[in-house]
Amino acid sequence: MAFFFNRGRSRQPADIVRTTKELLSRIHDSQNAPKAEEDLAKQLSQMKVIVQGTPEVPPSVDQVHALVQATIQEDLLFDLSRSIHLLPFEARKDTQTVFSHILRFRPTSYAAEKDPPVISYLVHHRPEIIVELCRGYMQSQSAMPCGVILREALKFDVITAIVLYDQSNEGESAIRLSDVKPNQRQRGDGVFWRFFDWIDKSCFEVSADAYTTFRDILTRHKSLMTSYLATNFELFFARFNNILIHSDSYVTKRQSIKLLGEILLDRANYNVMMAYVESGDNLKLCMKLLRDDRKMVQYEGFHVFKVFVANPNKSVAVQRILINNRDRLLRFLPKFLDDRTDDDQFMDEKSFLVRQIELLPKEPVDRTRPTRDSPSAHTAAVA
Amino acid sequence: MDDMSSHYQVMEELGSGSFGVVYKAIDKTDGEIVAIKHIDLESSEDDIQEIQQEISVLATCASPYVTQYKASFLKGHKLWIVMEYLGGGSCLDLLKPGCFNEAHVAIVCRELLLGLDYLHSEGKIHRDVKAANVLLSQTGKVKLADFGVAAQLVNIKSQRNTFVGTPFWMAPEVIQQAGYDFKADIWSLGITAIEMINGEPPHASTHPMKVLFLIPKNPAPRLEGNEYSNTFKDFIAQCLTKDPDLRPSAKELLRHKFVRNAGKPEALQELIHRKQDWDGGRGETKDVKYYAESLNTMTRPEDLDDDDWVFDTVKPPPMFKPKGTDWMTFDEEEENAPDPTQMLEDMHISAPPPPPKHQANSTVRRVPTDRSPSVRRANTKRRSSGVKQPLGLDLSYGNSPSTVRQFRRVSDKVPTDLNPAKHGFDENQSPKTVATDTSSKEAQIGRRAYSKAVGMSCQEVLSTTGDGDKREAISRLAEAWSDLEMVDPEGLYHIVRIMNEKLQADSRLSTLLPSTQPDSPSRPRLVLAQNNPHLKSHRRRQSYVPEPQPQSPPSVPAQAAPGMEHTKQLSDVLYQRWSEGLRNRWGGF
Repeated sequence: MAFFFNRGRSRQPADIVRTTKELLSRIHDSQNAPKAEEDLAKQLSQMKVIVQGTPEVPPSVDQVHALVQATIQEDLLFDLSRSIHLLPFEARKDTQTVFSHILRFRPTSYAAEKDPPVISYLVHHRPEIIVELCRGYMQSQSAMPCGVILREALKFDVITAIVLYDQSNEGESAIRLSDVKPNQRQRGDGVFWRFFDWIDKSCFEVSADAYTTFRDILTRHKSLMTSYLATNFELFFARFNNILIHSDSYVTKRQSIKLLGEILLDRANYNVMMAYVESGDNLKLCMKLLRDDRKMVQYEGFHVFKVFVANPNKSVAVQRILINNRDRLLRFLPKFLDDRTDDDQFMDEKSFLVRQIELLPKEPVDRTRPTRDSPSAHTAAVA
Repeated sequence: MDDMSSHYQVMEELGSGSFGVVYKAIDKTDGEIVAIKHIDLESSEDDIQEIQQEISVLATCASPYVTQYKASFLKGHKLWIVMEYLGGGSCLDLLKPGCFNEAHVAIVCRELLLGLDYLHSEGKIHRDVKAANVLLSQTGKVKLADFGVAAQLVNIKSQRNTFVGTPFWMAPEVIQQAGYDFKADIWSLGITAIEMINGEPPHASTHPMKVLFLIPKNPAPRLEGNEYSNTFKDFIAQCLTKDPDLRPSAKELLRHKFVRNAGKPEALQELIHRKQDWDGGRGETKDVKYYAESLNTMTRPEDLDDDDWVFDTVKPPPMFKPKGTDWMTFDEEEENAPDPTQMLEDMHISAPPPPPKHQANSTVRRVPTDRSPSVRRANTKRRSSGVKQPLGLDLSYGNSPSTVRQFRRVSDKVPTDLNPAKHGFDENQSPKTVATDTSSKEAQIGRRAYSKAVGMSCQEVLSTTGDGDKREAISRLAEAWSDLEMVDPEGLYHIVRIMNEKLQADSRLSTLLPSTQPDSPSRPRLVLAQNNPHLKSHRRRQSYVPEPQPQSPPSVPAQAAPGMEHTKQLSDVLYQRWSEGLRNRWGGF
């Protein structure tokens, strides 16, 4: 056994990286190169042994360090990130393992609170790699390995910022971290905005993975997301409502209603919530969800609907819709999902909503108070 | 999107379980026979993410010793997972005519070890190895199946803490939650070997809850008797080494004499033929169920209801839906609805199916990595039912050696026992229902208290107790609770209730006991108005978890609004958050 390892270890990481790079360019040039694919698989599995060791032999920090340096020197991560769909099955998984380990790697002397060196390198010098990883969702072969690597990287807010603010086209250079301007509105064609289509239009496996990544982007780094949503409120919720909540896919629909509820009820997003529940159109959307013919969609819809009703400062538009539908709601709600008898919280919230609706005034009352009386509610949210 | 389901001709049902129903089907593009698992996502609370996890583990496996995943896609609210078809059935099925002989067990063990070696080298732990999850092809090939609770480790050396699996097959370190790795599968393999030679795992006649105490406490099971060879006994002893560090890996066990001398997989065809003969000899007409598209996967045209919401000043002309098409989602429950208008109203509430049956053949999955209650609370999703606490729910009902899983996947087919003549030991069968099944409110609460609190508490304390005598005492107590829950849940409720009252009533005790903080402000939960009529009953129900009422600031603008006094509580909270938002922006507010 030991004999094999020594032979594997004796090759320098720099050699492996160089060979891999050559092979990658070869499979890019000719779509059908079985020999190159086979060799690539071998190189990648050697790299995997370097980064994670084997059950018997732990990895050597020096070797990993050398490998990380070589991949940066040769710009190998970029070549890998755009080639995953061309690799054979096992090599795709090995790439995912190697990539994730390299992203996490910290030299022994490195301060624990600082981002790992490769992360800093990516956001300052090679953000194209991150964008390429996102584009992995365009092919089903690369979607899942790219998704795993991406979610590893998105644990760092700087990476999330690149994904949110990049607006480059294919072939152009991507946005550097220092060029990010949070107050500038997005055009809506950057890589982040393509997630809506990847979730909505891909096959189930790709869609589900893209959704998981999308959710990570939206929920992991609160302050980043709050300011992004404030600046791009209209654009974001127009897409969210029209593409995700209206999706034909049961899973996309149900998961995104749930995500909407989580975003709105997150303390950090208070202003976003207030702006969202002011809109009569948003309320209409939610009330339609309550009448969906799938009960889990109704249930998730309820958890968004309750925010509209519970809001003590309902806009006139929202009050009008609720008042016009008061009788219908009061007939509807008591029987709504009435089999959830062991869900105490749900039952309590439902009866609370009934009470709120009973107590609505006859006519909408304009309750905008001076402090909130800034020109429009949205500008308040944007601030 | 292309309707993937049309690529398959679905035929008869192969079986059903916690996950849904499995059908045999033909892939129309190439004529290949496949197995398709239908999972009804409507009947699962919160576990779409978990199912995706299962798929991603499956989709990254390519080994002749693991059932091959082919595709998955959605059809309405059903998820179809297409797998390779294995015509030989599971080892558990093949055990029905009788136990395996040593030669057969050796072959199965070798093939399983090859499968586990593959998984483990991929950083995957199966976590639910048992005869029911070992499938055979017609030609005798052995494959690991059901990755419902499998785990993918990020790091080759990392460990898991999750309490997962099926009690009888669980390794001691999994039960003790002290961190475990690949070696847990090796223990389960040893138990599976005993299951194959004896027809059932050790402790099979014991209550699964009790088994959880016995496995860590007792010496590891051994195979005894002259009828077994020494190599076999040694193989079992190696697999069932209590210390996971001393337990050999799959690779090491592949060098064991017992499996090195094992025959070819083709020899297992004998077992398949034996089962066929047995089925034939019993004159059982196989009750074949064919796939029928259920009506509720079809979508009805929306917004035809004349009681639909009014959003515009122009009211859409009331439309009367043609009868017949409307009633299809109806459930029998609606039949006594008094008048048609009433029924129309109910329509959109989509007739509720009977509450999901309690399925003990589901697998418990819980994440107790952090057992401090506050932290767990914070992770808790907004719905109580989304966080099924596993043990009690699934295990308290009987002796079924169920796989334990935090959530239930309830199949839309009620798993009726088609085969009343079936005898023997079926680990995928519904549990026995307890004869004294009182259904009073108190009994329900009692059962819930047991499953959500008492049983869990015993297990938690046990897992943090090292001393043998103390452990013994605690497990006896846990058993006693479990017995009480089965015999007299009402009594259990009263004990818990009175205990709480007494604790609260004693001024010293009530102040000394650490108070629970069930509500963190960020938790998306509505606060009840003081005058909410349900608040009382809510408090009553949760009497032992005193709900902290948020402090109201002295003067709140929202209160001034007419008609809003009743929402004081809620508006306080919203106002607080709102003013905090202001403060953050303008500092001096």
